[in-house]
Amino acid sequence: MNDMRKVERAVDMHETKISARGVQVFYGDNHAIKDVDVEIADKTVTAFIGPSGCGKSTFLRCLNRMNDTIDICRVEGDIQIDGEDIYHKDVDPVQLRAKVGMVFQKPNPFPKSIYDNIAYGPRIHGLAANKAELDEIVEKSLRRAAIWEEVKDRLQAPGTGLSGGQQQRLCIARAVATEPEVLLMDEPCSALDPIATSQVEDLIDELRQSYSVVIVTHSMQQAARVSQKTAFFHLGNLVEYGETGEIFTNPKDPRTESYITGRIG
Amino acid sequence: MTDATSSGASPMMSKPKRKSILEIDAATKKRNAAEKRFEYMGLAAVLTGLFFLIALLVTIIGNGIPAFTQTFITLEVELQEKRLDKSGERDLEKIKKVTTFGYNPIIQDAIKAKLAEAGIETEITKGKDLRKLLSTGAVGSLRTTVLEDPSKIGETIEMRFVAASRVDGYMKGRVSRESLARDKNLFPAHLDIVDALVEEGSIERTFNWNFIFGSDASDSRPEQAGIGVAMLGSFFMMLVVLGLSLPVGVAASIYLEEFAPKNRFTDFIEVNISNLAAIPSIVFGILGLAVFIQFGGGVLGIPGFKASAPLVGGLVLTLMTLPTIIISTRASLKAVPPSIRDAALGVGASKMQSVFHHVLPLAMPGILTGTIIGLAQALGETAPLLLIGMVGFIASNYPDGLAAGFTDPNSAMPAQIFEWAKRADPAFYERAWGGIIILLVFLMTMNIIAIILRRRFERRW
Repeated sequence: MNDMRKVERAVDMHETKISARGVQVFYGDNHAIKDVDVEIADKTVTAFIGPSGCGKSTFLRCLNRMNDTIDICRVEGDIQIDGEDIYHKDVDPVQLRAKVGMVFQKPNPFPKSIYDNIAYGPRIHGLAANKAELDEIVEKSLRRAAIWEEVKDRLQAPGTGLSGGQQQRLCIARAVATEPEVLLMDEPCSALDPIATSQVEDLIDELRQSYSVVIVTHSMQQAARVSQKTAFFHLGNLVEYGETGEIFTNPKDPRTESYITGRIG
Repeated sequence: MTDATSSGASPMMSKPKRKSILEIDAATKKRNAAEKRFEYMGLAAVLTGLFFLIALLVTIIGNGIPAFTQTFITLEVELQEKRLDKSGERDLEKIKKVTTFGYNPIIQDAIKAKLAEAGIETEITKGKDLRKLLSTGAVGSLRTTVLEDPSKIGETIEMRFVAASRVDGYMKGRVSRESLARDKNLFPAHLDIVDALVEEGSIERTFNWNFIFGSDASDSRPEQAGIGVAMLGSFFMMLVVLGLSLPVGVAASIYLEEFAPKNRFTDFIEVNISNLAAIPSIVFGILGLAVFIQFGGGVLGIPGFKASAPLVGGLVLTLMTLPTIIISTRASLKAVPPSIRDAALGVGASKMQSVFHHVLPLAMPGILTGTIIGLAQALGETAPLLLIGMVGFIASNYPDGLAAGFTDPNSAMPAQIFEWAKRADPAFYERAWGGIIILLVFLMTMNIIAIILRRRFERRW
């Protein structure tokens, strides 16, 4: 863990953005998440780590109700964003997802032009009144995702023609274009090479200025590099949650220690 | 294995028996032989298929091509005033009173004149027998010409007449003097006249547009039968099929694939759609007869729901095509990667937006291909049409107007082919093959369109 200098460890005491209480998730008879309590602070990067199948992605997908699309999935417990229950019956998941953006494991740009990829979200949410505003949003989003310089001359080229790292940054630009408050990232670097990974990690650190970022990762180095807080999941339980430096250097739970030292996983 | 040089040091190394890879062992030999055998078997299967395909095409083309040419006899016809317009007033109503029967002597005289002019001797003396050189429809077409322009009465005009089917057959090598021995229609002497006229240049074989654009003709006039009206019937049926099965099929698939909850009920529907695709088409025919014609047209009295109407034919074929379209549409919707749906939902698109903005455009090539294949299937379907009465009558006229096109009794291409193949005269048999060529051309065109559309709309993701 020698690359932990990258991010300032001093965690500012931000207010809580998301608070989850007693969350249980079932896939049919399979109890995937068992009684998870977690508080995610605003303007911080929170990493979820843990072995495969431990439920970290499932929990992430609860935060913007992407699990609703899975028929057999059932979520219990209480998840609040800014004090509002997102599973309240009056909440429209579509509206919620505009507020809680998501970046997926595999870069999944729409098979459309780069411009249309970014403009799609603002268009369907009516964020731009005219073409000039839309152009502005597109440029701003691409700049934020640190990809503007590479694609500014070929905005009409298909987004699927970019390299893997560029595609993932395009997807991040697409996610920030709708001005979300929370950005969920499900293993955003697992399909990328080290250079692209480092670009995306730099980007995540940038995004912390404006958003609360939650990232699921398999790479403990990555969690250590980019996050301020880390949650360790194991077999559907939240084993340990705390400041990243604390978790990696001084884990309280023996399971956490075994995992970060490579004995389970 | 660091101590490989110190042989015999360990018990493991005491057996240095190594097989050279240059020697092929028995098991490998056996495996290679099996692989080769399978390869040859596959090749043989493909070649067999190819052989049958070529045999089929050669037969169809060999038998069908003659239908596209037709023998015509050119005659100088004197439109005798004393027979056509005794009063000399050129009153159309009075001229109309002369039936085709009255035109017979004129044609007979024209043939006699032609023979005299060409100096052809013949033992046939009766005008009635001479007339058999021409189609029985010849008088009708002469009468039509006269009625179109009565001012020509009294003049001598040159006209091309369709030759009788036996004469046509003789020109195509289907009819010989021997085969006429048992035929009451034509005598060998007729063929002598034909030979002489060919030399003289009054008989010619030209491309038969009437076969493509004309209408069916009665049993006695195979030389005048065409597939044009049946083609139009098929066209109107396809309009119905496309207009109904595409929207209904695509909507049903989108619902089932994207929106429907997975439960017993939707499972049940799914199984039944697959079953529907396997139902013999004749069952759809009898269903159409019972539901559309007997109940819809008979009990409810819906206009247009009557036997032989392309509208009903189209509805029956729609029922048949729907499962095909639903199955292929669902397959292409399934083939759209879920990551695209996730991406759309992730930026806050609603379910419907994600389907219509992203999934459907990507599935479009597959949907179009499935639809066209379904249509092609429907176009070639005969069995259900037999039951709703789209055969067994002569669809002799083009429907007047669009609405009539849907509701007027008509036939369809495959039904017309079936009808021709059923008739006794070999001239009809030839036309059945010709009809098959036209049908195949249509099917091939549709398949090519499907391929082009798929290529055009295909996108990478």
